[in-house]
Amino acid sequence: MSKGYIWKRLLRSLLSVMIIMLIVFTMIFTLVPRENIFFEDSTYRKLASKSDDKTEYVYSTWEKLGYLDYVRINDYCQDIYGAGSSEMAAAVEPDSKDSQDFVDLYTSKGYTVEKYLGSGRYYAYKDIPVIKRMGSWLANLIVIDTPMSVKDEANPDLPRYVKIGRTPTGGLAVIGSGTTYKYLFYTDTHFPFIHQNFLRLNFGTSYPTYQGLDVMRVLFQSQGSEVKRHVTYETGQEGESGINFGTLSYKPVLDRMDSRKFVDNYASYEVFRSQPSMIGTSFRMGIIAMILAYFLGLPFGLLMARHKDRLADKLGMVYIIFIIAVPSLAYIYLFRYFGTRLFGLPSVFTTYGPEDWRSWVLPVISLALPSIASLMLWTRRYVVDQMSADYVKFAKAKGLSQGEIFRGHIFKNAIIPIAQGIPASLAGCITGAIITEAIYSVGGMGKMLPNAIKQYNNVMIVALAFMFSTVSVLSVLAGDIVLTKVDPRISLSEKAGRS
Amino acid sequence: MDQENTNLFEFAEFDELESEHIAAPRYSYWKSVWRTFFKNKFTVAVAIFLLFIIAFALIQPMLSGYSPIITPNINDASLKFVKPCAGHIFGTDHVGNEVFDAVWAGARNSIIISFVCTGIIMLIGIPVGALWGFSKSMDRWMIEVYNVISNVPFLLLAMILSYVLGAGMRSLIITMTCTEWIFVAYFIRTQVMIIRDREYNMASKCLGTSTWTMIVKNILPYLISVIMTYISREIPSLISYEVFLSYMGLGLGTTNASLGQSIAMYTSYMNGYPHLFWIPVSVLAIISISLYIVGQKLADAADPRTHM
Repeated sequence: MSKGYIWKRLLRSLLSVMIIMLIVFTMIFTLVPRENIFFEDSTYRKLASKSDDKTEYVYSTWEKLGYLDYVRINDYCQDIYGAGSSEMAAAVEPDSKDSQDFVDLYTSKGYTVEKYLGSGRYYAYKDIPVIKRMGSWLANLIVIDTPMSVKDEANPDLPRYVKIGRTPTGGLAVIGSGTTYKYLFYTDTHFPFIHQNFLRLNFGTSYPTYQGLDVMRVLFQSQGSEVKRHVTYETGQEGESGINFGTLSYKPVLDRMDSRKFVDNYASYEVFRSQPSMIGTSFRMGIIAMILAYFLGLPFGLLMARHKDRLADKLGMVYIIFIIAVPSLAYIYLFRYFGTRLFGLPSVFTTYGPEDWRSWVLPVISLALPSIASLMLWTRRYVVDQMSADYVKFAKAKGLSQGEIFRGHIFKNAIIPIAQGIPASLAGCITGAIITEAIYSVGGMGKMLPNAIKQYNNVMIVALAFMFSTVSVLSVLAGDIVLTKVDPRISLSEKAGRS
Repeated sequence: MDQENTNLFEFAEFDELESEHIAAPRYSYWKSVWRTFFKNKFTVAVAIFLLFIIAFALIQPMLSGYSPIITPNINDASLKFVKPCAGHIFGTDHVGNEVFDAVWAGARNSIIISFVCTGIIMLIGIPVGALWGFSKSMDRWMIEVYNVISNVPFLLLAMILSYVLGAGMRSLIITMTCTEWIFVAYFIRTQVMIIRDREYNMASKCLGTSTWTMIVKNILPYLISVIMTYISREIPSLISYEVFLSYMGLGLGTTNASLGQSIAMYTSYMNGYPHLFWIPVSVLAIISISLYIVGQKLADAADPRTHM
């Protein structure tokens, strides 16, 4: 396959993702009433009686989330007279000359100027257009860590360099100073063994749920309780901690404890926890279910085709019809009922937690049931279609056995459209399974998007939509590439004279 | 004696018109479809059963006048959570309403929603898919349209639409159809692509047949059985979709009954009063399975290759 075609496809896929993001941005920033984001906010509810603080809180939150540009009269006067001056105290009052200038200036700039209900002072705001909002989101999306990343006026002597060294646990590392993270690249004994902090995706800070946390951290950080072990800090001090040295990042103000443990300003860190991250949980579950589905679905489908219209075929059909016709909510409950009654397996994931294999059995099988059914259905369909092909008759005439024909000829041809779907089902693993995870209370990705939508967590919705759509669009492309690999006859690009 | 016998016969005139007639058996497509369909006793039984259930679901709610917001027995503890018995065929629920009434009122709305949605999806999806599969220049950008539409988070879309349009039958139907049609179109596109370059279509093209005539006369009749198979899977899957949306709180709203609403509402009583959950699920399963079987058999019957 030509490289040019793949590049063109990649570019077009990127364009698709951008259009999807534009639609998502337009939907959440213009169609969802913006008052709704405060539904889940306890601070907002406490402020309900004091009207000026509430106005201030509402508008500064909207500004933070990128809805609008918000200017207070205080900010305006502070720039002119300096903070705390007596002229400023007079100027912010609504009848002053500066207030009049403020109103004129911002009205001419297209802002809406209003008065606080209590003090009567002025403030101005202006909506940021969706395109601009998305532009600034995109501009901040990819963060490259350089020695100039940290801008801390209180610490002018911060050395700025990049060198090769070792982590306190002995792994090889590229160490930076002046960078946000101390270890730009490092190796350790944890999967996937080679880590990097050099290139990061910045989706912003989550709000109102997981308030103040970085979105990537919410999704990718391990969950559960801290796993403590004996560690030796950089200064030589020893102690019990779950510290992950690889995640050391710049901390502007150090406390006494920090300076006892660390030799420089890189003192903020994450800890190792006992349970996998949300995305890790969903991905593990999805992968095991997918492997199970392919291992069972393909042979059963083949069996049904070989015994077409006989008992095996009919039994398989009953199963397929059951899965298609009964809503997943119902058969997952049914399956859980049997699993817990007959085999004594835990009915929820949290009983034994992710460390115990028994927790995984029922959710994984529940997740695999529909995939097995659809794989059986399509494998049977494709194999049956191949069985009447001329090359099969020819192979039979040559004297090949039924088994040889199935393995060597029919299966190879029938597998082509199924192989195309593998990347897509792999990509589906990270989105999580909404119903399965809810029924078994699994701490995975499935609940994230519905919850984010219900709780108006716009930052999270945008981040998830971007991740899911990118992975899914790329998996369509990967599927087509797989298709050309398993069947060299297929060409994706249109050649001259063959259109 | 020979003379007498020949007198019994008359010479027939040579009829030029009659000699041109080809003695093939009369073939009517739809008659053959129905004949094949009715040949199987089991299928006919399921079809009659299905018609009975649909009729019952359409008529029973008119007699019972059930609505989830009318709860006359809410203060009578003895009428709550009654297990199925002679007086209460399906038992009663957490507010003392008859589950029997709730299930049939729900079945009526679920059936209406799935049929209307399937109709709309097919009406948009099939023509678009047929054109898409036929035109290579259209394919280039339609594949990106497909990428975009199939990747916009549908829960977000459902939520936004429920804001803009309010909860109810109309907004639910719009929610369920506004992205689903692209999947039908994509499916039809692939099917059309497979047969568009066959010899008979090439011949037709050489003779100057227009694109639209080729789609309607040459290609779509060939696809009837595939489309029927798709429809027979689509109706149960739309009922499941409605259950899912209700489970997520984005369904018909609290004032309307539907099987999805009932199942989502009764899920919390699963452990204490399992009949509340399993009765609507079983009714749903019975309706879905019979719809699927009848649809599959109709699809088989619609395939002209089974008519000989």
